Amino acid sequence: MGDAVKPGNGGEAPPVPAEDPLLVELRGLLLAAEKKDVTQIQERLDDPQSRAEDISHVLPEAIAIRSRRDRDLTDSLLPAVEEAIGISVRRHPDVLVDGLFPVMGPAIRKSITNTLAEMLESLNQTLAIGFSKQGLKWRLEAWRTGKPFAQVVLLRTLLYRVEQVFLIHRETGLLLCHVSAPGAAVQDASMVSGMLTAIRDFVGDSFGSAGAGGLDAFRVGELDVWVEQGPRAVLAAVIRGTPPKELRAVFTEAIEKIHRDHAGDLEEFAGDAAPFERSRGVLEECLKSQKQPAEEKAARRRGLRRYAPVLGVFAVLAAAIGFWVFTTVRRNERFERYVRSLAAQPGIVVTASGRRGGKFFVEGLRDPLAADPAPMAAAAKLDPKEVVGSWKPYRALDPPIVVARARTFLSAPESVSLRVDGATLVAAGSAPARWIQESRRLSRSIPDVSSYDDRGVSDTDHAGLDRLRKAVESRRVFFARGSSELAAAESERIAQASREIGELGQAASAAGMPVRVEVVGRGDSEGTTDVNLSLSRKRAEKVQAALGVPPAGVALAATGVGASQPLVEEKTDQDRQVNRSVSFRVILPEPK
Amino acid sequence: MIQKKICMLGAFAVGKTSLVSRYVKSIFSDKYHSTVGVKVDKKLVVVGDEQIDLLLWDLYGEDEFQKIRETYLRGSSGYVLVADGTRRETLDKAVVLHSRAQETVGKVPFVLMINKADLADKWEIQSEAVTDLGGGGWPAFKTSAKTGEGVEEAFLALARKMVGG
Repeated sequence: MGDAVKPGNGGEAPPVPAEDPLLVELRGLLLAAEKKDVTQIQERLDDPQSRAEDISHVLPEAIAIRSRRDRDLTDSLLPAVEEAIGISVRRHPDVLVDGLFPVMGPAIRKSITNTLAEMLESLNQTLAIGFSKQGLKWRLEAWRTGKPFAQVVLLRTLLYRVEQVFLIHRETGLLLCHVSAPGAAVQDASMVSGMLTAIRDFVGDSFGSAGAGGLDAFRVGELDVWVEQGPRAVLAAVIRGTPPKELRAVFTEAIEKIHRDHAGDLEEFAGDAAPFERSRGVLEECLKSQKQPAEEKAARRRGLRRYAPVLGVFAVLAAAIGFWVFTTVRRNERFERYVRSLAAQPGIVVTASGRRGGKFFVEGLRDPLAADPAPMAAAAKLDPKEVVGSWKPYRALDPPIVVARARTFLSAPESVSLRVDGATLVAAGSAPARWIQESRRLSRSIPDVSSYDDRGVSDTDHAGLDRLRKAVESRRVFFARGSSELAAAESERIAQASREIGELGQAASAAGMPVRVEVVGRGDSEGTTDVNLSLSRKRAEKVQAALGVPPAGVALAATGVGASQPLVEEKTDQDRQVNRSVSFRVILPEPK
Repeated sequence: MIQKKICMLGAFAVGKTSLVSRYVKSIFSDKYHSTVGVKVDKKLVVVGDEQIDLLLWDLYGEDEFQKIRETYLRGSSGYVLVADGTRRETLDKAVVLHSRAQETVGKVPFVLMINKADLADKWEIQSEAVTDLGGGGWPAFKTSAKTGEGVEEAFLALARKMVGG
C-alpha cells in the first residue's frame, strides 16, 4: 500500500516540475480512479475524527490480542489509570463510592476474617511451638544466639525465604534499590552492594570467566546469595533456607522487566537512584517465601486438633479464672458473714465495710468490753492480714456490755450471775458475805443502772458456818450415873468436837463474825434438882477444860441445866443415859 | 540522595585504612583487604543542600608484591590518592597510580591526600614537590588520620568536583 501512496502524493504536488506534460496526462488517464481512492484515504488519514473512528473499530480486539501476549499494555496503562482514578476520587468521590459500595462490605468482611484466621493460626503455631520440646530447643537457640525467639521460629519453620533483594548498577556497583522482608537482618545496603560487586569482580578476575560476571550463586552459612545479571544492572537476592530452582525464573523476569522499564535510566545513571523507586514493587514481588510443607500438611491432617493448644490454653485460663472467681466469691461471702456477725455483736457498730486496695476493710465503733474483731476474722476463715479494721471507742448500752461493765466494776465472782432487767441489775448465785456487803455499798455507783437487786445471792459464808454449827451441836459427851468424871472412851469425842469448833472459829473469823459456843451439861431426872444442877455444871466445866484454850474468835462458856432441858424424854435407862451428857450450842449472829 | 563510587589509592602503609576507620562509616572487617583486595566503606558529604553518599572502594595498598586490580577502578566517579608525607617514594607511587586510574576510568576528578600531617618534623615531601605535580593542577591536602586535619576538606573538595562536573 505504501508503494501505491507514493505516486499519489506525487500527482497531487508534482515532485518533478520538469516532467513531460504528456506523461502527466497519461498518468491522469490511467490512474484517475485510484487517484480518487488515494485522495479519500489521505483525507481519512489526515482527519483525526475519522482516524479515531477507524481505531475505535479495532481497539477492543487489539487490546485483547496484546493482553493475551504480555503484560506491557497493562504496565503502560497503569500510570494513566491510576492517575484517572486519583482524579476521579478527588473530583467525584460519590461516583466511586456508589460503584464500590456493593463490594466493599464483603471485601471488608473477608479481610477481617482472613486477618483473624491468620492471627489464630500464628497464635496457634507460637503456642504449639512454645510448649513443645522443639520449642524449648528453639528458645535455647534464641537465647544462645541472641536472636528474638520469633525470628528463630520463623527461620526454623520456613522452607525458604527471600530476605533481601538488591538491585545494583553493574558498572559502578552502586545500589539502585533495595527491599527486605520484615524482620530480616539488614546491614547498610549501599555498602553491601559495593562489596558484593567487588567480590564478584574478584571472583570473575581470579577464575577467568571475564565479562560473564561469573558468580551467579554463593552460599554463606545459612544464606544463599543468588545473582541475576542483566546488561546494566544486577539483581542479588539473599535467601535463607533451601530455595527451589524455579525461584531463579522469578528473578530473571524481574531483572528483564527492570531493564525494559529503565533502559534510559540505566544508561544515564550518574548516582541518582530515585527513578528506580518505581521498580520497588517488582523487587518486592521477589521477596517470596514458603513454609515447611510437612508442618502445613500435618496441621491440616490434625484438623480440629490443631486448635488443641489454643483450646488447652483457654481451658487452663478458664479453670484459673473459675478458681479465681470461686475463691473470690467465697472470700467475699466469708467477709460478708464476718461483717454480719460483727454487727450482731453487742458493743460493736459497723459503719462501713468493703474492699479497698486489694484488702477488706471494716470501720465502726467498738466498746472496749466488746468482743475482739481480729480473732473473729480468723474464726470466719479470713486471713486477719487481709482484713483491716478501724474502730473508734464508744460506750455501749447493750445489756451484755452493761452487765460486763458491772461485773468488772463489782469484781463479781464466777458464782454470781448478773443480768439487766430494765434499769435494774439483778444478781443471783452465791458469794461471800463480804462481797455481798461491798456490792450493796457500791450499788449506787454501778454504771448505767439505777438499782441493784441481790435477793438471789446467797451468803456462802453463812452456809459453811451453818454446816459446822450443826456438826458441833450434834456432838455428845456421856457420863456415868452420878459422876462428872470423863470416861476414857469419851476423850475421842471431845477431840473431835475440839477440831470442829476450831474449824467453826476459822470460818467465822473469815466471815468477820463472832461465834460463841456454850458447853451445856445435863443430868437425868433421878435425884434432886440441886444435885443434878450442880452435877451438870461440873460435867460442862469438865468438858470445857478438856477442850483447852478455845481458838481465836470463839468464846467458850460452860453451863449446867440439870434435868430441865432433857435431850430425850426418859422412858428407859437408855434414855436416862442419853440425858447424862454434855452437848454444845453454837451462837452466831443472824445473817443479813 | 546521590551516590558516587570513589576509589582510594595509595602505596602500602600510607594510612588509608586509618583514614577510613576514623572518618567514614564501615561495616566490613579489614581482612577483605588482604583477601579480596578491597573494602567498601561509605562517607556522607553534603554539597550545598545535596547529600552525597561516597561509596569508598578502599583498594589494598600497592607494593612490589601486589598490584591493584583495575577491575575495581571501573565505574569510579572519582578517586583519592593517598601518600605518606614522611615517605617520599609514596608520592611517586601516587603519581603512578594516578596514571593507572586515568587509563582505566578516564579523566575523572581526584584529590591527593598527603597523610601524617601530624608528623610534620619527619616530612620528606617538600611543598614544591607537591605544587609541581601535574603542572601545578593537583588538588593536594595535608591530612592527618590522627587529628582529622584536612580529611573532611579533601572529601568535600572531591565531592564538589564530581557534582559540578
